[in-house]
Amino acid sequence: MKLFFIVFLNGLTLASLYFITACGFTLIFGLMRTVNMAHGVLLLLGAYIGYEVVEMTGFWVLGIIAGGLSCALVGAFLQAFILGRYQGDELRQTLITIAISIILADFLLWAWGGLTYQISLPEMLQGGIRLPLLNVGYSVVRLTLIGMAIVVGVLLWLLIAKTKLGIIIRAGVDDREMLQALGFEIKKIFIIVFAMGAALAGMAGVIFGSALSISPGTDIQFLLSSLVVVIVGGMGSVGGAALGALLIGLAEQYGLAYAPTYGVVFTFLIMVTVLAFRPQGILGRAEQ
Amino acid sequence: MPLTDGSASNQRVALNLKGVTRRFGSFVAVDNLNMTIKTGERRAILGSNGAGKTTLFNLITGDFPLSEGSIEIEGVESSTLPTHKRIQAGLRRTYQHALLFDSLSVRDTLLLAVVGIHNKWPLFYPLKKNSKYHEKAEALAKVAGLSSKMDVLVGALSHGQKRQLEIGIALSGDPKIVLFDEPAAGLSPAERPVLTELLLSLPKKLSVILIEHDMDIALETSNIVSVMHNGKHLLEGEPEEVVHSDIVREIYVGKRQ
Amino acid sequence: MSRTLLLIVVILIILPAFISDFWLNQILTRSIILGIAALSLTFLTTYLGVVSFAQITLAGVAGYTIAYFSPNTTGLGIELPWLFAVALALLFSTLAGAFVGAIAKKSVGIYSIMITLAISMAFFYFTRQNYSIFNGWTGFSGITAPVAFGVSLEDSLVFYYATLLSATAAGYLVVKFTSSPLGLAVQGVKDAARRVRAIGIPTTPVIIAAYAFSGFIAGMSGVLNVWQQERISSFSVGLGPTIDLLIIAVIGGMRHPLGAFIGAITYVLIDTFVIDLFSRDRFNMIIGLVLLFIVMAAPQGILGSFLSAQKRIRKYDNNAIKRKIKNDCEI
Ligand SMILES: Nc1ncnc2c1ncn2[C@@H]1O[C@H](COP(=O)(O)OP(=O)(O)OP(=O)(O)O)[C@@H](O)[C@H]1O
Ligand SMILES: [Mg+2]
Repeated sequence: MKLFFIVFLNGLTLASLYFITACGFTLIFGLMRTVNMAHGVLLLLGAYIGYEVVEMTGFWVLGIIAGGLSCALVGAFLQAFILGRYQGDELRQTLITIAISIILADFLLWAWGGLTYQISLPEMLQGGIRLPLLNVGYSVVRLTLIGMAIVVGVLLWLLIAKTKLGIIIRAGVDDREMLQALGFEIKKIFIIVFAMGAALAGMAGVIFGSALSISPGTDIQFLLSSLVVVIVGGMGSVGGAALGALLIGLAEQYGLAYAPTYGVVFTFLIMVTVLAFRPQGILGRAEQ
Repeated sequence: MPLTDGSASNQRVALNLKGVTRRFGSFVAVDNLNMTIKTGERRAILGSNGAGKTTLFNLITGDFPLSEGSIEIEGVESSTLPTHKRIQAGLRRTYQHALLFDSLSVRDTLLLAVVGIHNKWPLFYPLKKNSKYHEKAEALAKVAGLSSKMDVLVGALSHGQKRQLEIGIALSGDPKIVLFDEPAAGLSPAERPVLTELLLSLPKKLSVILIEHDMDIALETSNIVSVMHNGKHLLEGEPEEVVHSDIVREIYVGKRQ
Repeated sequence: MSRTLLLIVVILIILPAFISDFWLNQILTRSIILGIAALSLTFLTTYLGVVSFAQITLAGVAGYTIAYFSPNTTGLGIELPWLFAVALALLFSTLAGAFVGAIAKKSVGIYSIMITLAISMAFFYFTRQNYSIFNGWTGFSGITAPVAFGVSLEDSLVFYYATLLSATAAGYLVVKFTSSPLGLAVQGVKDAARRVRAIGIPTTPVIIAAYAFSGFIAGMSGVLNVWQQERISSFSVGLGPTIDLLIIAVIGGMRHPLGAFIGAITYVLIDTFVIDLFSRDRFNMIIGLVLLFIVMAAPQGILGSFLSAQKRIRKYDNNAIKRKIKNDCEI
């Protein structure tokens, strides 16, 4: 029973990471229909930058901000100068993001080598606390992570539900032609949203690098998890990303705990089942 | 009970629509529509833009599922059958906005229509050049007036030729009911009589539903006219009688000269 | 085009007389094997209109089948006569293709990319975790090409001809399939799936059949690949090879079966030679830049660009001729 709950918490932790990563991915996809295959490598970039900044300044929060900001810049650059030119040609955009992820990943390998990095945590997040009821120790940073995912989720929800940008994003998800017709500066909005999505990836990278560790390969792992999470949850939906992240995170951890050799099978089965009954994902809307 | 030749009018029912309804969200595009098409009947459907005519066709073919009601094709309850089964049962259609295979040639398109109907589509090796299916495709091309365009890619056809091809496809195999969705739309005045001719030359036992804004074509080729408005089947009757009814004049105000 | 093809095949038949073993094995044979795999992808893209990331997986299914049913140094598997092993390999890759198709049947465009990528990565992780069939991440080694009909496929020249023959067969199959009723239906689904149903053809089996056929072609490449490499492991079905295959298809162009092979040889040449001009470590950077350049500047790939340039030239010629005729008439 204890194992069951610990695994549940582990699942939640993983789900939190998946959620923070996937919501950047799904935000971009929802508005622009761009499958950003460079999402994983942006995460890695954010993590490396975050690592450097934390090493230099000693402030963990600064690391997160720097990781997010640098990725936002790279993302804005990509959308403004490369991807934006092919808006509407989704396949080409996808291929471009694949090329960029290959180039960028190689660059990161060149600059930071194949080592494993761990970002040092502020003292208050180190160590563990004893959980009431269960009476087991659990690492603080993992609990913080769950909290952060909730904060990110709420902030995103506020942004989308309450701000003007959010209204535009929602309208754009439903009908992009209309947005254009209404004369919104769609290009600028796309750049902002791409930067936001990239920033979320960068921040997720720093968080992941603190809670666990990062090395080449982390990018692919997270690109794939983001893909599966949004396929399951519904492409373009933040709520779907949360739901998908929960399902996949829990399935992976329970799989790992109870059937270690077949962990991936669970993830796969969830995906196939969802696709069979709801090809657009659990909370996704059907494509016309 | 299956309707047979022995029924009162001595005519079988080809298509029977009962309480057919389709909603898009809260909007009712087709509203509790009843209609009986007898074998060999030529029915024209009139109605203003957005009346629900094309949606009705989509419901009959199964392109859209019904919200309510039932559809019988040749006496067989078909409202839950997938589209291809209804086609196999003898239903055919054209699309208002040509829906064709742009990267195939006219020949391959017609060939595909023929093998589709004859259930030979699962063959994964090419048919012999002079197979009976090729012959049938040639015959269809002749009917549709596209014999000289057999090797042209469909994407490169003119608007009028695409409409002809739509008709060719709809006549493949041995159709029992054909639904024509505004076949004359976009045709030049010179092309219209050709279309009328074609419609008139269809085999007698074929049932036809024709959506047409061109009154002349509709009147010339039909023996019964239905009027749809706001998704409802307002009235049906003899062509002359319907066309001169007040309702039609009201709906079509300004549409006719 | 068919005369050009014939010429290419003839050149490829006599080429081994003029080149070293290294060129034969590492450039030509390897390119052709990769080309067959890429063909299975370009087939799907061109005719069904989907981009599949699962082709390396399908090739891998065939490769693993050969490894499992052939003598190998792992002590795993059952030895079968090579013909049976090959038949099983192709059967399994075809079935796996059908399975992928059944999962991805409702997806086109970017959706198909995402779903097939997820499938292929699930297979990758599965091969790493499973030891009873796939032998974990180490996989199988020590597999040798069989002696077929009295000649040993281990001989590089014989193997080259076997590969060439397979590639020709694969190309032939694709051409024949695409003009068969089922192949026409596949193309119909790409253009207008609704219309396909409205001529009495259910689309789901058509889509599944297209994937299954691509699985068969991919399987051919998988069999040859495991014979050439003499081993197969989870790395053979990982993201790297998956992306490489996409790059090959994009470089070559997807409009014609030949594009797959042009892409493959270009890729192999870059991999083997161009890379030495820079640094071997930066292979990914170079190939990424090549991909970026092609996608941005020549989206039809090398072959596509060549074909449209040829068309343009011909059009130009035609115009010149027309002008000449006109001038002549006016005189
Ligand atoms: N897929 C759909 N989703 C939502 N609404 C639809 C859909 N298809 C049709 N409608 C709506 O249903 C109504 C009827 O459309 P329909 O195409 O059947 O009209 P119609 O009688 O064929 O008109 P027209 O003469 O212009 O072809 C229209 O208001 C249309 O907007
Ligand atoms: Mg209409």
